[in-house]
Amino acid sequence: MNEGQTVRLRLDHLTKIFPQRGGKGNVVAVDDVTLDIYSGEFITLLGPSGCGKTTTLRLIAGFELPNQGQILLEGQDITHQPPNKRDMALVFQNYALFPHLTVYRNVAYGLETRGLPARTIRERVGEVLALVGLEGLEDRRPNQLSGGQQQRVALARCLVMQPRILLFDEPLSNLDAKLRVQMRSEIHALQRRLHITSIYVTHDQTEAMALSDRIVVMNGGRIEQVGSPPEIYRCPSTRFVADFIGRANFLPIELTARQGETAAFHLLGQSLRAPLPASGAENLVAMLRPEALMLRDDPDLPQVQIIQTMYLGSEVEYVVQHEDQRLIVVEHDPRNRRIFAEGERAGVTFVPEAVHLLGDGA
Amino acid sequence: MQNFALQRQVNQFRRIFQDPVLAIALLGVSLFVFILILLPLFSVIGESLSPKNAPLFQRYLTEPIYQNIILNTLVLGVLTAAVSTAVGFLFAFVQVKLDVPFKRLMHILALIPIISPPFAVATAIIVLFGRNGVITRGVFGVRFDIYGLFGLTLALSLSLFTVAYLTLRGMMQALDPALDEAATNLGAGKWRVFRTVTLPMLLPGIASAFLLVFVEAIADLGNPLVLGGNFEVLATRIYISIIGLYDTSSAAVFSLILLVPSLLVFILQNYIISRSNVVSVTGKPSGTPQYIHAPLVRWTLFGLCMAICLLIALIYGTIVLGAFVEVLGVNNNFTLRHFDFVLNGLGSKAMWDTTRLSIISTPVAGLLGMLIAFLVVRKEFFGRAALDFATMLGIAVPGTIIGIGFLLVFNTPTVWELPFFGPVTVLPKLTGGQAMFGGALAIVIVYVIRSVPTALRAGVAALTQIDPAIEEASVSLGADNARTFRRITLPLIRPALLASLIFAFARSMTTISAIVFLTTPQTRIMTQQILNEVENVRYGNAFAYCVILILIVLTAIGVLYLGVGSTTGAERAFQGGAR
Repeated sequence: MNEGQTVRLRLDHLTKIFPQRGGKGNVVAVDDVTLDIYSGEFITLLGPSGCGKTTTLRLIAGFELPNQGQILLEGQDITHQPPNKRDMALVFQNYALFPHLTVYRNVAYGLETRGLPARTIRERVGEVLALVGLEGLEDRRPNQLSGGQQQRVALARCLVMQPRILLFDEPLSNLDAKLRVQMRSEIHALQRRLHITSIYVTHDQTEAMALSDRIVVMNGGRIEQVGSPPEIYRCPSTRFVADFIGRANFLPIELTARQGETAAFHLLGQSLRAPLPASGAENLVAMLRPEALMLRDDPDLPQVQIIQTMYLGSEVEYVVQHEDQRLIVVEHDPRNRRIFAEGERAGVTFVPEAVHLLGDGA
Repeated sequence: MQNFALQRQVNQFRRIFQDPVLAIALLGVSLFVFILILLPLFSVIGESLSPKNAPLFQRYLTEPIYQNIILNTLVLGVLTAAVSTAVGFLFAFVQVKLDVPFKRLMHILALIPIISPPFAVATAIIVLFGRNGVITRGVFGVRFDIYGLFGLTLALSLSLFTVAYLTLRGMMQALDPALDEAATNLGAGKWRVFRTVTLPMLLPGIASAFLLVFVEAIADLGNPLVLGGNFEVLATRIYISIIGLYDTSSAAVFSLILLVPSLLVFILQNYIISRSNVVSVTGKPSGTPQYIHAPLVRWTLFGLCMAICLLIALIYGTIVLGAFVEVLGVNNNFTLRHFDFVLNGLGSKAMWDTTRLSIISTPVAGLLGMLIAFLVVRKEFFGRAALDFATMLGIAVPGTIIGIGFLLVFNTPTVWELPFFGPVTVLPKLTGGQAMFGGALAIVIVYVIRSVPTALRAGVAALTQIDPAIEEASVSLGADNARTFRRITLPLIRPALLASLIFAFARSMTTISAIVFLTTPQTRIMTQQILNEVENVRYGNAFAYCVILILIVLTAIGVLYLGVGSTTGAERAFQGGAR
């Protein structure tokens, strides 16, 4: 999907090293990160805390300077440009609204800094406030707003700048669960409508899946995988990605043959073929998402013991014992199917197309 | 990995010099600290350590008469610190832990010494308790000798306990009541809670208050001059060496002897405070503080506190009354003669000069303090901690030593012979005869360096309460550092700025030790005039000066409140946080 699109921002072998707090030694927060971000796309940096995603964002915003590497905005080297000269706007985790200024003044702040005429500022602030649904609240102070409204002001304050890149630093992590889902959908709709190139940092994989055109999974300062949400979910390139995005069962396989880029193997009593992982690893495991496994009342299938049954309404989640391994099985829409009780035995099977091979070590 | 550390510093400087305003600010602040604080200080140290002064050192450190002076200084410091800390603790405890009447009044009485000129308390004590004292002779008929260690400790403690009070009150309020509740919940009685929880938590605060008062007490010049009698301390020795004997060498040597304990104690105090952050980890109290209800404890402490308040009221009453009568205790006829002298007579020039110079120095000190705080808290650069420390020297170094340092550096202009340009005046003549602006500039500078440290601490405290992301947001929206500081940071730390301005003005109006060597016939300073009047036993004039001075400071506080404003406009967001 990216062919023919123009590169808006290029991160070229970025490395950022922090001295360790209080002691000798250094921490490599961002480790040789190279990434192209295309015009108009919504890209998410996803990873556990300490994976370097926020530092990468702060390098892009200019709040940190890299030890190595370059940042190019539309081909122009901005590695050492100060943050206020970069045509980007950052939505902060804690909103970072100016508490002493009204909503209007908060949103107008950046335009005033640019020295635009008062009339233009009034028009543009008005438009943006309407866009995020904050009309009528112009004269409120941030502390008179709800969490969701504060989030909208933070967003409006950045949108009004019409920046070349919009940066988000875990903007939804301070909202309660319901509001988070609602704001997620609003950000999604706005971004699709305005086509602002957006870089979004989060540790929440659902948020990343819901919002992104592409997801960059990071771990230990390095990029693990870049891909669209379905690519990342269905074909994770490493065990880390498979484990971090959703949940995964890793099952041993009996390899029967390698032919070019595919492997033939036995899994849970079935023989099948699947593409070999790109890394060309020797020991292979099969990754199966919980919803790709199924439990049936069938004595001919490989048998498992039900350890735990959790009824969640739209699905039933089982923990089962298969030989010396515990597996997670999720059955969607359990209305018409029998629910197995804890302690029962059942046969296990799977959707063959869902099998994805991974190197064991990676 | 070595080159990363270097690269980091290169990056930091690159960052700073990308913003010219920031670079200029940092450069200006560094020059300020270097030329106006460090250079005078090093001159004093250099002068005192010059080889020709070696015999002086030997004399002062071995001869009993001088050993006595050193001992006196330390004894006075320790006694004053002990009494002040005890009184400060008492006042703070009554404010925070007891439910008793007149708390507001006690608080105000405890704050009066901040705006009170030096000598005021000492002079009132002489009038009340001296050989011809209104109370000692008038009521009890004894000729009591107030001059010496006792009178000095009394006067200094009554002036300096405020420092201990404010430190300890802040700490007691920051104590998380949940700790008390937890201890009580585990079955401890109130006394046990106090002994095993409250007191240990406050120990760093108590130590810090003690050390702060000690530094101020051994540096004090005004009280020993007036109340010392035969009890000599280092500060008065330095004063006499300069004013009486024109002997800069021995003044410098005495200065170094005084400087050593001052700086050691100051560094120790900083160390204790930096390690005592455990006290207020959570920032805001989570429970409601429990008052102590035991009647014996409650009313004993209340009685003690009220007795001290009575003494304070008596002393300030004496000052006011003394200004309106001929000679208090001798001829109690009403007169406006003393006020006429200050307002219209010979004294009026000092009043106007002092006020003018304080008005100039106050905003400079306040803004400079906030600026240094901003740089120290928010920016990363090599020498950040050194900048903080060097700025604090402005108050840690005894005022007399700063005064001598100024004499040493600025009494003759520093001229560099440059190739092509010829002689260039690098540092102008600021003190003595024919000084720039009649010596007024030197006094303004001293006012500023004496006030900046308090502003810096207030600014640092306020800034650490504000999420740096708010400033980053401003930068991210295109504002440079200067605009961010002006539009975002400064309004948010307005309460700290207000406090700093008030303090700077009050300190400038009341300071004596640092400017006593710098006044010239063209520039008269009130505190020095008060000293003159006291030395010539014209107490009435001195009291009138004090009353006028206090009124000027109170007016200034009112004007600052209205002009600067004490709120940020974000109060609900920072509830209780900005203070």
